[in-house]
Amino acid sequence: MKTSSSSPLRSAGALFATGLALLLTGCATNVNTYERADSQATPNYVADKRVITDNTLAGTFRVVAINQATVSGNLLKVQATVENLKNKLRTLNYKFEWVDANGMAVDSPNETWKAILLQGRETQTISTVAITPQAVDFRLKFRE
Amino acid sequence: MKLNLTSQFTGMLALGALLALTGCETVPETRTVDAKGPEAVNTAAINSQDWASAADQLVGSLLSSNALDNAPRTPAVLAVDRVINNTQLMVDTDLLIKKIRVALTRTGKIAITNTMGLGERAVVASEAAELEEMQSGKKQKVIVPDYTLYAKLIQQSDKGTKVTQNTYSFQMSLVQTKTGLTVWEEEKSIAKQTKRSGSVGW
Repeated sequence: MKTSSSSPLRSAGALFATGLALLLTGCATNVNTYERADSQATPNYVADKRVITDNTLAGTFRVVAINQATVSGNLLKVQATVENLKNKLRTLNYKFEWVDANGMAVDSPNETWKAILLQGRETQTISTVAITPQAVDFRLKFRE
Repeated sequence: MKLNLTSQFTGMLALGALLALTGCETVPETRTVDAKGPEAVNTAAINSQDWASAADQLVGSLLSSNALDNAPRTPAVLAVDRVINNTQLMVDTDLLIKKIRVALTRTGKIAITNTMGLGERAVVASEAAELEEMQSGKKQKVIVPDYTLYAKLIQQSDKGTKVTQNTYSFQMSLVQTKTGLTVWEEEKSIAKQTKRSGSVGW
């Protein structure tokens, strides 16, 4: 008789614990990353200036590094490494803009807002190539 | 005085009726959005943001590959070959090709011929060249393209119990005409999942 009354309680407790565990861990889609300890690559890192107007966004996505290279002889290629600081899948909208030597914006038909999905704690790279040699500087914009 | 009150009441009633008839009219709201931005309407098909994203990725890949570094001249002459649309969508493939043409032309490394290939044809330019030939008596020299660009759009639909996924693949190849060799190839994909709406049972 005693066992029959405690069994439903025990089952409910177990269910609650399982539900809680699923709630805490089940939604997480975090990514584990492994790479060479002593990297052979020698990226040309760019010192960047940051203008933060959305602290929530800045607390969600972090630019780890920005590096640049020259491709096709004279075209600037920029790559940013972005990290999702949250434990959930997040969508990041980003846009690159180019600036010429005179500080004028360089119109580029394909430089538009693009979306990438980052799993929890995942790091990804986003890149673009300037379509004109006149582009010497860039701006990278984020929005959620 | 009585007549005056009656006429005032009638006037207010008429005004009220007018407001009731016109005030509740629903005016369709239209706003201008960035056609290639996050506000663009997302559908199961390829939207404006997808075209721009695919074009940017393909151009970025071509320029990063340095395939044009060994071109016999600058700008190298490019002819746009067939663009096969194997999707279920009735789309103008220039939504992709034009963006790539614009970007490649702006690099100064590519000039696109319009007298050869299945791409955009310059009809008036061809007629002008024929007229010039007739008047001068000299055969116009047609520049043989150094490269041809071939593209294909593919759609793959996968249906789950509740979700349908459409994966659109944008394939592109750059062929060197002198050797017939493909000097650059790329495939970029965009996958879109759509939840099926619940069916109505009777």
